[in-house]
Amino acid sequence: MDLDKLLETSDICIYDEPPACTSCCPVHMDVIAFITEIEKGEFDKAYKVMEKRIPFARIIGSICDHPCEKVCVRSDSGGTVKISELEKAAVRYGYAPPKKAIPIPKKKGRVAVIGGGISGMTAAFDLDKKGYQVVMYEKSDRLGGKIWNYEGGLKKEVIEEEIQALMNKGIKVELNRFIDKKGLEGLIGEYDAVYLGTGQWEEELQIHPETFQVGNTSVFAGGKLSNKSCSVIFSASSGRRAAISIDRYIGKISMNASREREGSFETPLKYETEGIQPVEAVRKASDIYSKDESVREAGRCLKCRCRKCIESCSHLTHFNISPKSYMRQINQSERIILGTHYANKMINSCTMCRLCKEECFKDISMKDVIQETRESMVKRGKMPVSAHDFALKDMKFSNSKHFSMVRKQPGKAEYLFYPGCQLPASYPEYIGEIYKYLVSKINGNVGIYLGCCGAPADWAGRQDLMQENAEIIKETWEDTGKPVFILACSSCCSIFEKHLPEISFVSLWEIFAQYGLPHNNKVSPKHSLSVHDACATRHNKKIHDSIREIAVLSGYEIQELKYSKERTKCCGYGGLVYYANREQSADFVKHRIEESNNDLLVYCAMCKDLLVDAGKRTFHILDLIFAEDMESVALRKMPTLSERHRNRAQLKIRLLREIWGEEPDMELEKQMDFRMIIPEKVKQLMEDRYILMEDIEKVIDNAKKNKERFFNPQEKSYLARLRLDNVTYWVEYEEKDEDILVKSVYSHRMEIVEE
Amino acid sequence: MNGDNKQNTPWLCDKCKKELVQKKVKVRYLGGNFEVELTKCPECNMVFVSEELAMGKMLEVEKELEDK
Repeated sequence: MDLDKLLETSDICIYDEPPACTSCCPVHMDVIAFITEIEKGEFDKAYKVMEKRIPFARIIGSICDHPCEKVCVRSDSGGTVKISELEKAAVRYGYAPPKKAIPIPKKKGRVAVIGGGISGMTAAFDLDKKGYQVVMYEKSDRLGGKIWNYEGGLKKEVIEEEIQALMNKGIKVELNRFIDKKGLEGLIGEYDAVYLGTGQWEEELQIHPETFQVGNTSVFAGGKLSNKSCSVIFSASSGRRAAISIDRYIGKISMNASREREGSFETPLKYETEGIQPVEAVRKASDIYSKDESVREAGRCLKCRCRKCIESCSHLTHFNISPKSYMRQINQSERIILGTHYANKMINSCTMCRLCKEECFKDISMKDVIQETRESMVKRGKMPVSAHDFALKDMKFSNSKHFSMVRKQPGKAEYLFYPGCQLPASYPEYIGEIYKYLVSKINGNVGIYLGCCGAPADWAGRQDLMQENAEIIKETWEDTGKPVFILACSSCCSIFEKHLPEISFVSLWEIFAQYGLPHNNKVSPKHSLSVHDACATRHNKKIHDSIREIAVLSGYEIQELKYSKERTKCCGYGGLVYYANREQSADFVKHRIEESNNDLLVYCAMCKDLLVDAGKRTFHILDLIFAEDMESVALRKMPTLSERHRNRAQLKIRLLREIWGEEPDMELEKQMDFRMIIPEKVKQLMEDRYILMEDIEKVIDNAKKNKERFFNPQEKSYLARLRLDNVTYWVEYEEKDEDILVKSVYSHRMEIVEE
Repeated sequence: MNGDNKQNTPWLCDKCKKELVQKKVKVRYLGGNFEVELTKCPECNMVFVSEELAMGKMLEVEKELEDK
């Protein structure tokens, strides 16, 4: 697996990107953290958040020209969040004098700061903190510069206290010292670097916009000289950034490396604005927000963060993970040589439905990532066997003589009806009917081909099995005269598109929509249905339209779900999650059901199976076409795993007899010489433990023939075991005359050496 | 994995009609070999695995090994 590519993709995910307000703020105040504290009424903590980023937070927090508010996403939904007003409130209710810092030795060098305004004060403060000996030169008799213009709104004592705090640090301040061009030259000789924050200068300076260096000299200039504006916060930011440059300059390290996001920048974050309810800004009753008003105003903040894919996906929600961290976890998991692969279960819990890509502003498809990861796990021998074993065996069964077959009318087939493996398992009674319908409607030679397309192998990352299967289908297609396939399963459609692009196919639903329904005089009670589209064909508009057309022809009205068509959700079966993580699969069904009170209409057998199993009234499109009694099918319990096998096997036998007049191979109808009674409780165990009737039969047959069993004389019951392929199955049973009463079943994969 | 198989099991080997005994037994999974104390027939060596053991400790160890 290309891990560099994976990490590149993870970098594209905007989950961690800052909101517009923070990225626009030239000192990057963490607005969301700040607002969150205010919402909790924790003004002291909110002030601490300000202090972390804003120099002289008590002053600037009260007079900041708040560029953050101009980019606020809330602005179109009731007006921008009043961040600056909230800062004033945080200063008023949350200010605490800073703890006395431990003075660090000033050994790194000497820097002169010319100009005692906000940019100079910030540069001096930061340089002092970095360990430089700083001397400030101010032409007037006090520091502060234009901060004093705000006197009134800003208390004189506050300004004085903050200036005093700066001077207390040991920064030497020379007041009434006017420095001109000639004076600067003297200082250049005297100091390791000079910061110029004078607002005006005698000549035009070549100031680098990122480093604030003047030419390639030891002079750095910020404030109004570089910003060409009177913005307080941009002034502070330039002083801070120049201090970083001075530190790098004196330390002789790269002036430019890793400084991309230092000042104000445009965030790559996008935030879905659809559906935001407008809320007007809170008005202040006096000159400053009260605590209560602040809390309410803070509540208007959207806390912009891109969670679109997470919110729509039950899998990302279940693991509470963004694609960004997901990909990083995969990266780690792929690099483990010795140790536990903790991400395995998560990787096998993605339904690979690709809704994330539909939702993503950046088109990231976790389906593609998961597909590649699972294939890599298989190649490295790190795929847990138990995750997909049952599904792969089920596929093998469907492609064995027990189900698979090809029959056509004499000559070259023009169409081949390929119903897939799950539809014949769920609806064996309809397959013959559909085939007869196709033969009667379509002008041309229509054949039938039973088997499994290979979707389970594709989902399991087993490209070896997938390719092998695709080859067999391709050969059959060529042998039958390259017919058009008529597909009834959405997973088949996506597998054919991906692995068999040379075969053209049409969906069965398009045929019904085009040729009309077989019983079009059927009267249906008119009510609304919501279509739960199949995720495997989220981009097949023809299928979406045909399904709706058939529903309308059958007398139903369609009410679309929020997530439908290309934005449809998976039922929880996709990606074999049903086998790898039942709990996760159940989450998908639950969330889908909660979306609407309407009865659902589906066209994938597994969707119907899972939705009905969770108690949701659901119709398969074939119910609309063929069912006699709609009420009885709405919640009809779907066949068990064992019944699915039997349904497929019996369908083949029936089709051979009824349509082709052939007597099936004796072996297909082989019966055991005992009859099993399986209580409901045991049937459920079989479903939960993926144990089939045929497995149990084999265990009992072996036990009876070879006496390989334990006997409990008290209970008069037997316990027998048999290893079939890579699983040992255990059955506890009683013999009741000719019948076998199955009391319990279980299995294990570990092999026990009996010697 | 030991201990879950009850020592005083009511089960007998149906073929040999023998009472079961506790013995070290070799167990294999995913290329790993272990020895564990399990209950078995002293004559034909058929090993007894209870439901509790199979669905409990054994399943747990299988999953752990699969994630290695």
